[in-house]
Amino acid sequence: MNRRIFLLLGIFTVLAAGLRADEFKFPLKADSVRFAVIGDSGTGEQPQYETAQQMLKARQAYPFEFAIMLGDNIYGSSKPADYDKKFAVPYKPFMDSGVKFYAALGNHDDTNERFYKPFNMNGESYYTFKKGNVRFFVLNSNYMDPKQLAWFETQLQSAGKSDWKVCYFHHPLYTSAKFHGPSLGLRKLLEPLFIKYGVDVVFSGHEHVYERVHPQNGIYYFTEGASGSLRPGNLARSAITDKGFDTDRTFMLIEITGDEMYFQTISRTGDTVDNGVIHRNIRR
Amino acid sequence: MRKKRKVPYRRLALLVVLSLAAAGTLAGQGAVPNKEQTDDAAALKRFTVRVDQYVKFRNTIEKQLPALKNKEELPEMIAAHQQALARKIREGRPNAKTGDIFSSDVREAFRHVIRGVFQDPHTAVAHTIFQQQKEAQTVPLKVNGVYPDAVAETTFPSMLLQKLPTLPDELAYRIRGRDLVLVDKKANLVVDLFHEALP
Repeated sequence: MNRRIFLLLGIFTVLAAGLRADEFKFPLKADSVRFAVIGDSGTGEQPQYETAQQMLKARQAYPFEFAIMLGDNIYGSSKPADYDKKFAVPYKPFMDSGVKFYAALGNHDDTNERFYKPFNMNGESYYTFKKGNVRFFVLNSNYMDPKQLAWFETQLQSAGKSDWKVCYFHHPLYTSAKFHGPSLGLRKLLEPLFIKYGVDVVFSGHEHVYERVHPQNGIYYFTEGASGSLRPGNLARSAITDKGFDTDRTFMLIEITGDEMYFQTISRTGDTVDNGVIHRNIRR
Repeated sequence: MRKKRKVPYRRLALLVVLSLAAAGTLAGQGAVPNKEQTDDAAALKRFTVRVDQYVKFRNTIEKQLPALKNKEELPEMIAAHQQALARKIREGRPNAKTGDIFSSDVREAFRHVIRGVFQDPHTAVAHTIFQQQKEAQTVPLKVNGVYPDAVAETTFPSMLLQKLPTLPDELAYRIRGRDLVLVDKKANLVVDLFHEALP
C-alpha cells in the first residue's frame, strides 16, 4: 500500500516538474532586463557550437539583449584564430543581431582578452555596467588584490539602493562540484561585502556543471560552468544544492523586472533543466 | 553562625596569570618591531622601488608603440602589440636575470609573509596551492621569456594577495608549481622569478 502511494507521488512529482518546465514563460515586460548567461564556453569544440545553436533557438522565443560570460572564454592558446574559433564564430549570429557580450576573466583566459572589443571590458579586468534597474559588478577572481577589493566596495557604496546588484566572476564561493570545490579564501573576502551592501545574485563558472545553491545569507548563487566544457557526474549534490545538472552543456536565460528575477536553464538538447522566480528582499 | 566563604585561591591565581598574559600580548602589539621585522620592511620597500623602476622603464617603451585602444582592438592587434612590447622590453634589459627584483633579502621577506599565510588554517591557501600544483604543467620559465598562454593561469590565492606588496596594474604575481613569478601582463613576459617560494 505504502509503496503504491509513494510510486503515485513520485509519478505526480515528475509530471508536475515536467509541466512546470514546459509551461515556464518569461513575462517579457516592456522595461525588463533580459540576458543570457554562459560560462566556461571557449573550447571551440562541437558541443560549444551546439549549445550556441540552442541558445539561438531560445532567443526566438525569448529575445534577450545581451549575454554575460563567466570566464574561460578562450581555452588554451589565445592566438587570433582562437578568438574566432572559440568565440566569434559560434556567437556570430548573436553579435550580428546586436547582442552584446560582457566577459569576466577565468583562469584559462589571457589577461589581454580585456582589450578584445566584443568582450566589452574596455581594457579592464574588473568593471561595472548598468542595464535598466540592474547594476552588474564583474570581478576578476583570478587576482583579488586589495586594490580590486577597495574598488569593489567603492562601487557597491555608490550603486543605487533600489538597483538590483548582480555580481559575476569565475570562481564559485559555493558549489557542490567535486573538481575544485568552493573558493573559501575568496568567500572570506567577498561575502561580507555582498551582505553589507545587499548583493542579490551571484553567478560563477569554473566548475563544469550547472548548480543553483540554496540562498546563503539571503544571496542567490548560481554556477553555470558548462556552456562549452563539461565534467559529467561531477556534481556531488549536497545540503546546499537546490538544483543541479551535470550530464550535458547548459546556458541560462534571465529576465529581471521590478523585484523579480525569472530564470531558465536550458540544456544543449533544448530541455529545461531548471527554472523559477526569485523575489528579492530590498534593503533600503 | 555565618559560614566563612572560602577564597578560591587557585582561580584567583589563574585569573592573575591570564591577565598578565593578556597584558603581555597587548604590549607586544604595540612593541617596537624586532630586527627581522625591520629587515623585512626595508626589503619590501626595496622591492617596491625596483618594481616602480621597472614599470617606469616599460611604460616609456610602451609609449613608443602604437597605442592599444581599449575599445577597438582585433585579436591580431592585441597579439602584435603584446609581441612588440615584449621584444622592446627584452631589448631594453638584455642582461636581466633571476633575482634582479627578487633579491635574496626580498626573497627572505616574501618567505616570511608566505609562511605567515600558510600557517593560518582558515585561509585555505594550502589547499588551493596543492590543487594548482597538481594541475600545473611543467613549463620551464625564464626571465625575459614569454609566460605560456596555452596553460591554465593558476589562480592566485586571494588571502596571500592581501599580504604581499600590491603591484601596479602593469604587473601581476603568478604561481607556477612552487615558484612565484612576476609577470608583465600586457607583454606576457616573465620579469623575475622566485624559485621555491612556496612551501
